[in-house]
Amino acid sequence: MSVSFQAGDTLPRLTHTATALQLFRYSAVTWNPHRIHFDDPYARQEGHDGVVLHSHLRAALALRCVTEGLGPEWHVAKAAYRLRKPVYAPADLAYTARVTEVEGDSMTLELAEEHPSGEVGFEGTVRVSKTGVRKTDGFGAPGQTP
Amino acid sequence: MSFTPEPGTALAVYYARTQPRTGAVLSCRSLGTLDRVSIGRYALTIGAADPAHYDPAAALAAGYADVVAPPNMLAATAEWGVGTPEARLQPDGLPPDGETPLGEDLGLRVMGAGEEMELVNPVIAGTEVVLQATLEAVTPKQTRSGTCVFVTTVHTFTSAEGAVLNRNRRTVVLRNPLQES
Repeated sequence: MSVSFQAGDTLPRLTHTATALQLFRYSAVTWNPHRIHFDDPYARQEGHDGVVLHSHLRAALALRCVTEGLGPEWHVAKAAYRLRKPVYAPADLAYTARVTEVEGDSMTLELAEEHPSGEVGFEGTVRVSKTGVRKTDGFGAPGQTP
Repeated sequence: MSFTPEPGTALAVYYARTQPRTGAVLSCRSLGTLDRVSIGRYALTIGAADPAHYDPAAALAAGYADVVAPPNMLAATAEWGVGTPEARLQPDGLPPDGETPLGEDLGLRVMGAGEEMELVNPVIAGTEVVLQATLEAVTPKQTRSGTCVFVTTVHTFTSAEGAVLNRNRRTVVLRNPLQES
């Protein structure tokens, strides 16, 4: 069943507790040896308050809010985000997405990462499109060279 | 006059060295072939439950030729292939020759600051991924937490056949070593 959206609609919040264990595994799967993400004494030497969440992990969680909130009928076409402050594990986070524009088979949503203090640690936008044409085209579609 | 880092600091050395390289192609190389296990592990670690990340049959039913990566997996992968031997890593753990010039000998503190991603084609297991990285901007700024240099690189990921997968514009923020800030 197709669900239609309009500006102002919000998707279900995605709540998540990021742990040091998750950060270690995220460093491992992305083969990221940056010590601020898994070595607490080193991170504090750099002036942090503990191990630092990867910017890409925070983006992945925000995008999950969108993909899980919209379902497989939609795919992410564009995303942009900016970090306002670092986050240290363990951290209780909530990701939100609000529709700001609907245009045919595409729409734009505003993303935010909310902290228990009420602060916004991350903000961004995402453009999604109805899935279908892109999947069946596959790779090598004309006009998609760099 | 535009702001520049204080002379004599590590950021000033970095800026003088790196800003003239603006526009340079930093890398153009094959990263290897993305496999199902890597995609599944990335999805598992971020908590993504969509079976199209794990199960080829579910991916096929969803319209993909094989399991599909979560949207920012290419952007997030720090090192490709076997990576850098530990003895060559910088004191902060970062490799000395990554896609973004980080002033490996200067002890700068590094963090991600943001990214713009254009996801042109889905990223499917079995795809050989090719990356071209270009240095777009090196911008010093005075912020609430002190002097910073923002470094922006454009990463274009394509398949070996030339189809664009992602076009990403990534920004990292560099700060002086703690004792200099």
